[in-house]
Amino acid sequence: MNKTALPEWLLESQGPLPKTAGNKWCIRRKGFVEKTVDELSRLMQEEFYAEKVAHSPGLLQEIHPGAKVITTLMLIGVAVSLRSWFVLLFLNLWAMLLVYLSAIHPATFLKRVWLVVPLFTGVIIFPSLFNYVLPGTPLLVITDFGHPVHLGPWTFPEYLAITRQGAAGGIVFILRVGACVSLALLLTLTTRWPALLRAFKLIYVPQVFITVLEMTYRYIYVLLLTVSDMFAARQSRTVGRTSTSEQRRFISGAMGSLWNKAFNLSEEVHAAMLSRGYTGQPRTLVRFQMRRLDWLWTAFMVAVSLIMLWGDRIIG
Amino acid sequence: MHIPDGYLSPQTCTVMYVAMLPVWATAVKKVKQALSTRYVPLMMIGAAFTFVIMMFNVPIPDGTTGHAVGGAILSIVLGPWAASICITIALAIQALLFGDGGIWAFGANCFNMAFILPFSAYYIYQLIAGKSELTSSRRWIGGLVGGYVGINLAALFAAFEFGLQPALFHTAGGTPLYCPYPLSKAIPAMAFAHLLVAGPVEAIVTALLVRFLQASDTALLDIAGSAQPMTGFSKLWWGIIGLIILSPLGLLAPGTAWGEWGLEEIKQLTGKTPAGMARLAEKWHAIFPDYGLPGFDKTFGQSAAVYILSAVIGVGITAGLTYLFAKYVAAKRNEPAEAEKGTISK
Repeated sequence: MNKTALPEWLLESQGPLPKTAGNKWCIRRKGFVEKTVDELSRLMQEEFYAEKVAHSPGLLQEIHPGAKVITTLMLIGVAVSLRSWFVLLFLNLWAMLLVYLSAIHPATFLKRVWLVVPLFTGVIIFPSLFNYVLPGTPLLVITDFGHPVHLGPWTFPEYLAITRQGAAGGIVFILRVGACVSLALLLTLTTRWPALLRAFKLIYVPQVFITVLEMTYRYIYVLLLTVSDMFAARQSRTVGRTSTSEQRRFISGAMGSLWNKAFNLSEEVHAAMLSRGYTGQPRTLVRFQMRRLDWLWTAFMVAVSLIMLWGDRIIG
Repeated sequence: MHIPDGYLSPQTCTVMYVAMLPVWATAVKKVKQALSTRYVPLMMIGAAFTFVIMMFNVPIPDGTTGHAVGGAILSIVLGPWAASICITIALAIQALLFGDGGIWAFGANCFNMAFILPFSAYYIYQLIAGKSELTSSRRWIGGLVGGYVGINLAALFAAFEFGLQPALFHTAGGTPLYCPYPLSKAIPAMAFAHLLVAGPVEAIVTALLVRFLQASDTALLDIAGSAQPMTGFSKLWWGIIGLIILSPLGLLAPGTAWGEWGLEEIKQLTGKTPAGMARLAEKWHAIFPDYGLPGFDKTFGQSAAVYILSAVIGVGITAGLTYLFAKYVAAKRNEPAEAEKGTISK
């Protein structure tokens, strides 16, 4: 390339580059644009992963989606009703067996359940362990002040302790939430979204809801890609810092123009539907049939539920 | 505010589903009437829109970010009934696809975010905006206040649902079975987070969007007004107020009157044996009478041993059968190919 064709300022040496996120002493907080773009791509990644698992050969993938929806609802109901930590622990371990038999990578599954549940649920449940928050029989005394503690208008007992009730409740709570999350994740990971939606017909979800859900699922990705493009375009044109009010202007503009685009899109979809003979009554061609395996599985799940409830009764 | 499964008792979850049923039914009826064939694509886009709006990180003055629900702006633009359906759909996708919010708690989440939020936001907006010009500043102020109050009311209801759990469901020893915090702690905690962070974000997003629509396309601000006849709605006010007052009572009731239907099965499965289970229980009695082997119920040690034995048997059978199912499925998977070959050769 001809050197003289370049403008002067581009040829100047720049000196040392400014400190960036690569420098370990400079922790740069991610801006709202990057955060949003990150979140969007994470969402799509997760969805691709779920689709991949749903296609791989395994136990739960072979079971009829209808049978899975009904038994999952039942099992979550059981999990919510259980009161004994032992039975809940068993339910969690059994869910892991199902994970293994359904060709889901156990480490990935564990990460998605047991990294998230203790983080959120654990933080919520943590204060309830102590007698200052919820009174109870002390299990482990942490500090003993010897006299009631006065803090402004409040008076606290003389010792700070982990209570028996708090600890027992906390363990059961975390195990239960973990079991519920595992069961729901098993259903959604091993079932393809269109099949899952059709299965909802079995639990009397109106067809209109299912149709809207089906279409929403499709167009969420259209809108997500639009937003992703908007944010990437913005990010690549941003130099230096932007003020909060400027950022807010961008966000409101992005949201507003997204709404305009979405609304126009819905008009187009509507016209397309009408021109294909839509009269307001959605119809589907797919019919579902349960095989013997599905009935057997459903019966087995009912048996498992009863065993667990029975076990819960005698232990708890 | 997405309540996961396990925080609320099954009784509360059922009550919340029952409370949502008439809302969903009325919403579908109303919206279908007003929009006929346009309804499906519009709901679809609305749901996709709130889903995507929840992904937007909004910068907050202190440098952190928060995200809005988008329920308030949707109810202002589409009307509360249509917004209710859109948010329900968005919540369903979040719960099913991304594990955000529970499946049993779905009724409760919808009650807070797809009923309380859009309806309170909409009527506050209407109250402030009144019959003002579409470009009037009363409109965006209405959106601001509506969004703020709407999300805080929704959070208040979520706190109610949490806070009632320890009072209603605990063991004899006082161990809480579900969310352990009483109303006196749940409400301030939820109010703190929502009054300070989530509320302002929803308010700002709603107001900014209203202003954007005022500047760019005022007709969009009036879809609800032109497409939905708003007349019959004044009577509904009283119905909604009634529902709002009654719903916490419904939560309190599971121990008594509500327990007679629907909940009964769940309630009793944990406590007493229902009629349907009686036959099965007899079978178990035949093997382990009184949950113990005959002659092995004299001392605590003996009965404990039998309990452990029955637990081991139960666990073993369950795990073993699960494994057998997997084997069977694996065998089945290879079979169709051969079966197909068979029919061809015939």
